[in-house]
Amino acid sequence: MSFAGARLLHISLCVLAGSLVLCGQALCQSAPPDTPPSPATDLVVKDTPDDDGGSVTLSWSLSADDKGGAKDVLSYEIRRSKSPDGPFTTIKKVLKGTSSTTDEKKVENNVDYYYQVVTKDASSETPSAVAGPVRAHVQWFNLGRLNTLLITILYTALLLYFISRAKKGEKLFVRRIAGLDALDEAVGCAPEMGKPALYVPGISTISDVATIASVNILSGVARTVADYDTRLIVPNFDPIVMTVAQEVVREGYMAAGKPEAYREEDVFYVTSSQFPFVAAVDGIMVRERPATNLFIGMFFAESLILAETGASTGAIQIAGTDAIAQLPFFIAACDYTLIGEELYAASAYLSRAPLLLGSLKGQDWMKMFLIGCIFIGLVTLNVGFAGFKSLFDLPLTIFR
Amino acid sequence: MTLETFSGTFGLWMGAALTLCIFSFLYKDNPFYRFAEHLFVGVSAGYWLVYNYWNIVKPNLIDPLREEQWQYLLPLVLGIFMLTRLFPNVGWLSRWAIAFMIGSGSGIMIITYLQSNFLEQIKSTLVPLDPTGQPWYVVVNNVILLVGVVSGLVYFFFSKAHTGVTGRIARIGVVFLMVSFGASFGYTVMARISLLIGRLYFLLHKCVGVI
Amino acid sequence: MGSVPVEARRSLVDRLKDIDRRVIFVFIAVAVIIPLVWPIGLSLKASPPARALFNEVESLPRGSIVLMAFDYDPATEIELGPMSLAFLKQCFRKGLKVVGLALWPQGAQLARTSFSEAAEGYDVRYGVDYVNLGFKAGGIVVIDSLGKNIRASFPVDVDGRPLSELPLMKSIRNFADIDFVMSLSAGDPGLPFWIMIAQGRYGRKVGGGCTAVSAPMLYPYFPNQLVGLLGGMKGAAEYELLVGEKGPATRGMDAQSIAHAAIVIFILIGNIFFFISRRRQKLMGART
Repeated sequence: MSFAGARLLHISLCVLAGSLVLCGQALCQSAPPDTPPSPATDLVVKDTPDDDGGSVTLSWSLSADDKGGAKDVLSYEIRRSKSPDGPFTTIKKVLKGTSSTTDEKKVENNVDYYYQVVTKDASSETPSAVAGPVRAHVQWFNLGRLNTLLITILYTALLLYFISRAKKGEKLFVRRIAGLDALDEAVGCAPEMGKPALYVPGISTISDVATIASVNILSGVARTVADYDTRLIVPNFDPIVMTVAQEVVREGYMAAGKPEAYREEDVFYVTSSQFPFVAAVDGIMVRERPATNLFIGMFFAESLILAETGASTGAIQIAGTDAIAQLPFFIAACDYTLIGEELYAASAYLSRAPLLLGSLKGQDWMKMFLIGCIFIGLVTLNVGFAGFKSLFDLPLTIFR
Repeated sequence: MTLETFSGTFGLWMGAALTLCIFSFLYKDNPFYRFAEHLFVGVSAGYWLVYNYWNIVKPNLIDPLREEQWQYLLPLVLGIFMLTRLFPNVGWLSRWAIAFMIGSGSGIMIITYLQSNFLEQIKSTLVPLDPTGQPWYVVVNNVILLVGVVSGLVYFFFSKAHTGVTGRIARIGVVFLMVSFGASFGYTVMARISLLIGRLYFLLHKCVGVI
Repeated sequence: MGSVPVEARRSLVDRLKDIDRRVIFVFIAVAVIIPLVWPIGLSLKASPPARALFNEVESLPRGSIVLMAFDYDPATEIELGPMSLAFLKQCFRKGLKVVGLALWPQGAQLARTSFSEAAEGYDVRYGVDYVNLGFKAGGIVVIDSLGKNIRASFPVDVDGRPLSELPLMKSIRNFADIDFVMSLSAGDPGLPFWIMIAQGRYGRKVGGGCTAVSAPMLYPYFPNQLVGLLGGMKGAAEYELLVGEKGPATRGMDAQSIAHAAIVIFILIGNIFFFISRRRQKLMGART
């Protein structure tokens, strides 16, 4: 008789006799249901590290019948008691194959707890040895965040150092931003064509860094425009930005020695609704036909509408924003675009404000640090020493 | 026709008509478009006012105060400070509320940003360049990743003029930036076409019934 | 062509270069409408980020808890709605329990629609197999609070029922009880915050779907911080393909592909005429 035939006969016998004894483990390939599973072993309980208390971490070795042996383990039940002799109450249940978990169910700090992991199959269960006592504690410092702290300290120190140097009047070198040349040329076009220049300082508030940078750039633009005796139109989305813009443009005309040429009605508030603002600016572009359009600051979905309408009027357009999602539209529809950080750099370059210059230098040195880290990491990783990479893992793995 | 059926049918045709009104702008600006635009602005303003009250102000401020959770008086005061911007003589008070928001926001964000967008991203840049044990295209990918990150960083380095080696690396950085902006633009076009598909599907399926 | 005078040829080039944009609009509309009415059935292949997400969900044991965030509004429903349907159907088929919530106000209502549509044909019950916790304002702060105690942010579900009355929520206290986090995100607050907090701080596995606009910004997180990512309507169609549930995204793929092809052709034509006209200008300059 073939093996398959013998097996079929055996199964039939099992069914007929209705006896589990006949279904020997070797042929039927399953343990009798009433045999309790092997227990989970090596149960270790400890206070969850680097947390604010209220949590205990448990780990154990899987039952011999989980993934091995009879493979009939369904789950593990975590039970807890304040005494090693019980009574134990069930806290939670985890699926088979799980060898660690945390107990965060109303765990009181500084109280002794004892744990048991109960291995369960379809009809029976086996408790592990009791582990404990363990106490949950509050940790004052999260060691897992040590790297984050060090980098924060390093970055802050660099910023403060360069800001203090800039405040002492030291000349910190910042390269000329290519976009500023393009800006000068564009502004210079307006008087040649006898048309006004339009400056839109974004649609954000004065607390936005991009708006602050934009106002600094507006200051330089106002001076150039005043030099050329050209009209500068500045429509505003935010009333506070408008107030600041009026001051800045007036100062620009004064610095150029032409305070009488300043027209306050050209620096005006439009509306604080996004698309109505766009409609108004589009109208200005179509009616006044400025020779130069400058979109500098924070922009959102309106960026393409503004830039496209401007392009259709034939104006020279310069844009600058740190809104990553809007940059592609400005790049496509404008003659030159200040990309991301270039906006801040241009503002620092023009204003020479110590806070901006110092911040820019601090960021530059942080970038050098970053490039250095990448190179050292790559060298060590590729010569077989992965320790450097694990330094970046440290705050992540320990914290988890 | 029941009221419910009527309201459903009316809503459907209203949606279709307004969609066509907005589409008409593609030909040129016209009164239909302006009507739909103003209706949209007005309705959305009203909707958000009601929604914000019932979903933000009431559950997060009024309900806790009714339950005598007095710590919520602090956000109430800061909220009132925000409104002082409407009155120029006491408008400076709004700065306190803004300072609170910026301070607490920065505290939460700086550490999480450093962890997710700085440490994790540096870690992701540390990739094996050794061709043994991995396909050649993975190595090429890793090299591109590395060159892109470093040259991009050099482009945004402002303490040295873009001349010589720095200038050449920065130019490579610009190429990477433009490629990424191109990809971003492409994805945006895809999103806009998806929106058009959504609207046309609505018109052709629910209103005309041809699909 | 050789006999046509240079001046006439130039005017033709210029005419085509300055083609009225409304002509392009008509072409795009036709390119979208025709495949919608008469589908072609262009082939589609799942990308690695979509496949990775699918495989991760498939590997979750029956009964695992999935936290699903509906961080979008009707404006992006066409991209993210199909993703939510396909993902929920996979969860229900696998016997996974889904806890839905929204960081965007209108997300709660969209979640309600998605749950009821996806539940059709599956033996699932509200409160036992899935719940909708509704909307909570606060973005990243809300996500952080979920790590400590879900009830602190969501004491009741979307219909005002206390969580203690929902059997599914009895065993779920915080992120420690969540096996997988999925965020369908249209912007801010959305997927980046889930990566920062749920993955970065609490070590949960996070997957996501996003609008095509934000996809390029989110791909750098894959695969170290994001187990998988669906980008735009194409990502949704890929997931429908993987789950085996053809839906609205698959229906739109033909139209999407044809429209893209039309746009590529316009870009090529535009560039060709741009270069021809520039060359002619140079030639004219050289002659004079």
